[in-house]
Amino acid sequence: MCLRTMGTLPARPDSWVKRSLLPVLSAGLFLWSAAPAHAAGTGQRIEKQFSITGRPVVVIHNVANGRIEVKSWKNSQVDVVGTQNSNKIGFEIEQVGDRIDVTATILEPGADLLDLQANLQLTVPEETELQLKTETGLIYVEQVMGDMKLESYAGDVHLKEVSGYIIVKTTGGSLVCTQCAGKLDFSSIGGSAQILQPQLNNVNLMTTTGNILFDGDFVRTGLYSMKSGKGLVEVRFSSTDSFDLKAQTATGIVDNQAAAFLKPDSHGVKHIASKFTHGLFGTVGMGLAKVELSSYSGTIRIMKRD
Amino acid sequence: MQCKDVELVLEHEGLEPLPEEARAHLAECRECRNYIADLTSLVDAAKKLPAEITPPDRVWIALRAQLEEEGIIKVPAEVLPVEQSSWWQSINAFFSNRVLATAMVGILIAAAAVFQIRSDRTAPVVSPDRVAGTGTSIPAAKTAGAELAELSVPQTSGEFDRTARDLSEQEPVATGMIVASRSPIDASLRDNLKKVNEFIAECERHLKEQPQDELTREYLSAAYQQKAELLSAMIERGRSIN
Repeated sequence: MCLRTMGTLPARPDSWVKRSLLPVLSAGLFLWSAAPAHAAGTGQRIEKQFSITGRPVVVIHNVANGRIEVKSWKNSQVDVVGTQNSNKIGFEIEQVGDRIDVTATILEPGADLLDLQANLQLTVPEETELQLKTETGLIYVEQVMGDMKLESYAGDVHLKEVSGYIIVKTTGGSLVCTQCAGKLDFSSIGGSAQILQPQLNNVNLMTTTGNILFDGDFVRTGLYSMKSGKGLVEVRFSSTDSFDLKAQTATGIVDNQAAAFLKPDSHGVKHIASKFTHGLFGTVGMGLAKVELSSYSGTIRIMKRD
Repeated sequence: MQCKDVELVLEHEGLEPLPEEARAHLAECRECRNYIADLTSLVDAAKKLPAEITPPDRVWIALRAQLEEEGIIKVPAEVLPVEQSSWWQSINAFFSNRVLATAMVGILIAAAAVFQIRSDRTAPVVSPDRVAGTGTSIPAAKTAGAELAELSVPQTSGEFDRTARDLSEQEPVATGMIVASRSPIDASLRDNLKKVNEFIAECERHLKEQPQDELTREYLSAAYQQKAELLSAMIERGRSIN
């Protein structure tokens, strides 16, 4: 059926095409001319590279909102890329020896929140010491070896394949640590912590209301302490692990789903539980690592993986 | 000989020479062999360490700052004469001797432990009704942030009295500094302050009923520390936005 006969198309196709295309072309032209100006006005990018001779120390203080991402490469250089939504934030980047300081400062405190967003992307040598501090926005660190102190008020912290002495402090942000090695200290009020497939030999986790999940192996002779005031503390271990376990709670409960694998203390130490708390003591394997779980009023769950 | 006997032997006599019985046990026990191998590798690694390691200055500065922050040491009020070495040099010289430093830390820990035990014994038990009646005193100029302060912990007895009082004084100041802010960060800080206050109140109530509950005491102590850090963060943030 012909469309023209249905009255869908005008009788004179040529003039219809001209009339229809004109506004579209005009709109397109307007948007094309406006778009670059908009981008130049709001989206800004800064990139700097610093050569280093030894193990660098990178210090970031991001008072703006935004994400900090740190990855590693084989080069002896630190690459810093900062992007911002507006010129209401200023970046100060400074190198002194092998130390690099990056500070994002708010130039107009009363500006709109969206205008106060600044993201930082760093590429650093594999062995780098990090000191990152942000207020909100994710901190993401991947494949970096070295001591690191990561602080955030409201932002989460995600670590993947990092090693060293890792200190994470948040107010409300959570931690996800995947395949981390070395020593880990985490403290938070409302944030949770997930430790997945770790190779950590010293772990201290403390949160007031958040949850804690430790899913992985306990390194022989390692020390592990996990405490949550009101949240859930869950540990998933494997049958080949070797650790002594002490779990205690003041008003919460201990949910032991691995009773078959926990035997009385193999070292012959007689544990006397406080009459004010309830909990359990036990050993898995030879009891080579030491694991302490506690919660004031939350649940402690002990499980065996697979 | 059993595994635990081998451990005892190692504990008392060291790695070698092992008695005949222990060696016989090792020949049959793989776990003990692994254990000894671990110990041996540890000892070897320790032997490779240099005899003396001088820590960098920043370690001492951080240590001193931490001790000061915890009120364990205090900056002397009097200024020493110029010709004498400064207090910092004295501390530095004192701490540069590892044995003295260790002894000092040991003494501090022991003193703190004695103080803690004495406080536990002398801390009067306050009845719950009295606790309920004691609210936080808030300055006359009540800020909008004082709503949060009202949620703050009832005054405690014993070793936390002073901490609770200090923090209660700081709380309206800290909340007042960010009270006008609509930023989600400040909302998060206020929310977390509320959480920590509620938790402190819960621990306090529990401790009134069971003053000897060490676990709750530990949580309460940690919560006060977190609250102190949070108030400090709020003040810092307040300064930056104002």
